[in-house]
Parts: sequence; structure tokens; C-alpha cells
Amino acid sequence: MRLIVHNMLSCNIRGVANKFPLRIEPKKIIVKEVDFNPDFLKHMIAKIDWKALVDGARSMGYTELPDHAPDTTTLESDESFLRKFHHSLLELHLEEGSLVCSETGRKFPVNKGIPNMLLHEDEV
Amino acid sequence: MILDVLRSIRTSSSSSTTTTTGGRIILQSFGFYSVSTSKMRDIKVKSDSRELITSSDEEEEAAAQIIESVSIREKEISSSSLSVKSTPEIEKKYVHRVYDAIAPHFSSTRFAKWPKVAAFLESLPCGSVILDAGCGNGKYLGLNPSCFFIGCDISHPLIKICSDKGQEVLVADAVNLPYREEFGDAAISIAVLHHLSTENRRKKAIEELVRVVKPGGFVLITVWAAEQEDTSLLTKWTPLSAKYVEEWVGPGSPMNSPHVRNNPFFSLESIPETEVSTKEQKAENSPFIGLESIPESEEGTREQKGESIIPETKASIVEQKDENCVEESLEALKKSQQEYFVPWHLPYHRAEVSGASASALASGLAKKDDRKGAVVYNRYYHVFSEGELERLASGVGNAMIVDRFYDKSNWCIVLQKAAFNQD
Repeated sequence: MRLIVHNMLSCNIRGVANKFPLRIEPKKIIVKEVDFNPDFLKHMIAKIDWKALVDGARSMGYTELPDHAPDTTTLESDESFLRKFHHSLLELHLEEGSLVCSETGRKFPVNKGIPNMLLHEDEV
Repeated sequence: MILDVLRSIRTSSSSSTTTTTGGRIILQSFGFYSVSTSKMRDIKVKSDSRELITSSDEEEEAAAQIIESVSIREKEISSSSLSVKSTPEIEKKYVHRVYDAIAPHFSSTRFAKWPKVAAFLESLPCGSVILDAGCGNGKYLGLNPSCFFIGCDISHPLIKICSDKGQEVLVADAVNLPYREEFGDAAISIAVLHHLSTENRRKKAIEELVRVVKPGGFVLITVWAAEQEDTSLLTKWTPLSAKYVEEWVGPGSPMNSPHVRNNPFFSLESIPETEVSTKEQKAENSPFIGLESIPESEEGTREQKGESIIPETKASIVEQKDENCVEESLEALKKSQQEYFVPWHLPYHRAEVSGASASALASGLAKKDDRKGAVVYNRYYHVFSEGELERLASGVGNAMIVDRFYDKSNWCIVLQKAAFNQD
């Protein structure tokens, strides 16, 4: 599971208000290099919840991201920032661990890179 | 595959959190996915081996007894009852368990990319985030290499197949997507909704697809049509009994229209009522006409199949002197038949590898066909009639239908989410 997916995942247990983001408890992390594509990254800046990305990256051991994303005008020229964004968004993989709901403490397991987000009967 | 190469380079330092070595591999184009079809065997997609299932009077009585005994065994469910997001038993048994058991075999037959779906995906802007809900074996993930695909499916074995191809996937329920709103640029639901057994669940799944895409985003949905191009296929499917349909299908079904209900030919009385109160429980108790007791036969006729749909009315049909009226009613009923079990033949050598089949056979979920050397599973389908998908989608407030078509026995629709939040 990459942080681009983590940035979308939320807890869908009935009645939960604070669904997003899920806290990452990693057990095994893998890094897989991927081709750098600045256009895609600029498209993603608008979608990404920045704080969730920064916190997620930190929990995976990557602390290079700034606390705030630069504004769009400076983005074009800031390759160093884009590289860090690229690395955290697309190259860090959570192979084993859990995604934890802040409100309920419910852990969604991640095994072999696959999160299991299915709910139990009583959570629906 | 490029990602396989990456994996092998990384295995030696798999527990580290930062990369230090060089050996960077430049991927072609966008490079997220190198979905390679070279690994797929060139298998002719055979239609599922077909068996004609017929029914006779004795079997109907036996079936009624089986249904009665099954209903008595069932436990009661509290009336606080099941939300639309709870999975009904019929889906657990005849969708989820089946796909889990047949996943690798199923995947090996699902490699041809449907041109209409490919065209939709290729029309999306570069860099789009595309959500595939019910992605199965991941056939469409990565189809447009300039886009980023995220797939989910309720079947872990199928998701594992996707993951092994390097795709970004998770296990989730299409009726309750674990996604925050508006993240996706587009979403697809290819041959999924027909496995949902109530209208409310089918509608909910459409609402979920719309919810998770951005304002202005597109959603493509395809479902099996009741109006099949190859009508001989219908003779190989098991229609679920009229009694089942009455108890199971919600308002708006053609089966529940006054025209049908007031017609004496549709009186349903021979299958006893169950004691359990909820709809979903009844669906579990009133299946198709006892699958185990129906003999398989090579040949069968449409007329015999017609009787199997409404066995209860046989007596009244015999008494009726106006034969034209009888035939019309049978035809009308056949046309409105939308609930089916569709067989899947899992060859014995595949079944052994899967391992799930031993328990499926023991519990009666599947049966052996020695003649074909396969374990036969049944998959539950609610096939869609003309206009049904549109009707369902038009009930979703903040989306518009922008395209609708029928292609290769599927009803298809493209929705566009409203550009501004209308809440």
C-alpha cells in the first residue's frame, strides 16, 4: 500500500465521525522506485490531504516533507520538493502493518501490501 | 515485468526504510503498471459448459420439503435488522464463497479487454486517478498507462492475483467503499452490480461510485442484461423460483406489479411460509427448486423450463381451458425472470489446487459433475432488464446520465457527477 492510497482510505464503520486519516502502524516497509512524473504530481497536489501525507510518511520513516506544500506558482520550479513528494507518495510501500482508526482504535490489517478494509457484521 | 525486477532488486534490503543504492530503473512512459498480457495463456473463452436443468412434479415436492427443512434450521435474526450494507446470506454463499473458490481459474478466463471499457478508460485525461470497484482479477487496472488505478474487490484471492501483478489494490466492499469523497477522477464498475441481491444494495453501490469521484467526474457501470443476445444461454441457468422472487425483490420489481399479483396464474401457495421474519432470511430459505434433487439432462425443452419457473401454478394451468392465456402468462413471467444461478464449472485439477472445494462439496454449496470432470458452483445473478440500470441511477441525486448503451448482452451507463456540490 502506497501513501497515495492511504491518503484516500477512511474508516467506514457506522457512526464514526473522525474517519480520516487512518494512523499507520508499520511492521514492514519496502521502497520501490518509480519513474518521476512531475505532471502527475502537480495533478495530485490538489487532491492530497497534506497533513495526512506528512504524518503517514513520518510513520513510515520518511521525514523530509515540509509541513506545508508550496503554492502552485512555486511548484513548477521546485524540483527538490517534487522529488520528495514523489518519493513519499509513490515509492514507500507498507507491506505489513495496520491502519488504525483514530476514533475507535479499530485496526485494519495490511498484509503483503494489501489492506483489508472489510467490516465485521456489527460494524456495518 | 518491470515491477518484478524492482522487487528482486529490493528483496535484499526489504526491511530498510530508505534507499541508498543506485541501479535505478527507468520505466517507460508513466510506468506505474506494466500489465503484461504475455503471461496470459491464449485460452479460448469457452462459455461455461451448459447443463439443462429441468424439473418434474416429484422433484418439486421433494424441493418443497428441502426448503421447509432448511427454513426450520435457520436461526432468527433480530428485527433491528440488516442495513443495506450488511451482506445477505445469498451473496455470501453464492457470490463471495464461489469467487474465492474459483479465483485462479476464473482469472485465467478473464483476459479479453472489452473495447467499450477500454475506450472509456483511454478517454480519460492523463494522470487521472481511476477507482475500479469490484476489480476482480484486475483486468482493467493499468489499462491506460498514463493513469493511476486503485482497485478493490471483496474477494481476497482475486485481489491477491491483482497484487501479484504489481497493482495497487485492497479488499473492500463495493456497497461501503472505505474511501473519502471526491478523491477519484473516475470510477468503473464492470459486471459487479448484478451480484447484489437487493435493489437497495444495487442503488447504494451506484451512490458509492458517485460519492468517491470528484465533481464532474465520470462513472462507467456495466451489468448483465436479462435480454441476452444468445438466448440459448438462459436455458443453462437456473431461474430462482417465483416464490423466492416475491419474498426477496423489493418494490419496483415487475414481479410485484399489480398486473402480476392479481393474475390467478401467479398464485403462489405450495411452498410453505417460513417462521423467520426478515427478507434476507427468507431468501436463504427459499432458494431455487432444490438444486441437489434436479437431475441433469443433455436435452431439455423451453416448455419444461417454463414449468420449472412456476411449478405452483401447474394445477391451475391444467384446469385452465384457455391455452393462449396460459402461454401469454408464462411468457410474461419468463420475460420478467431476473434472478438466476449461473453455473461455474471448476475442473477437478483446479479444484484440488484451490482446496476450497472439499468443504463446498461437503456443505452442498457445490456438486460434482463426473461426466465433465468438474465441480459445479452456482453464482447468484440479478440480471438487469432494459431501463432498470438507468432508473436506478437516475435516483442518485447528484449525478447525470451522459451515455447509455447495450453491448454484448450487457446494459451500460456512464454517469457524470454534478460539477458543484448540491447538498
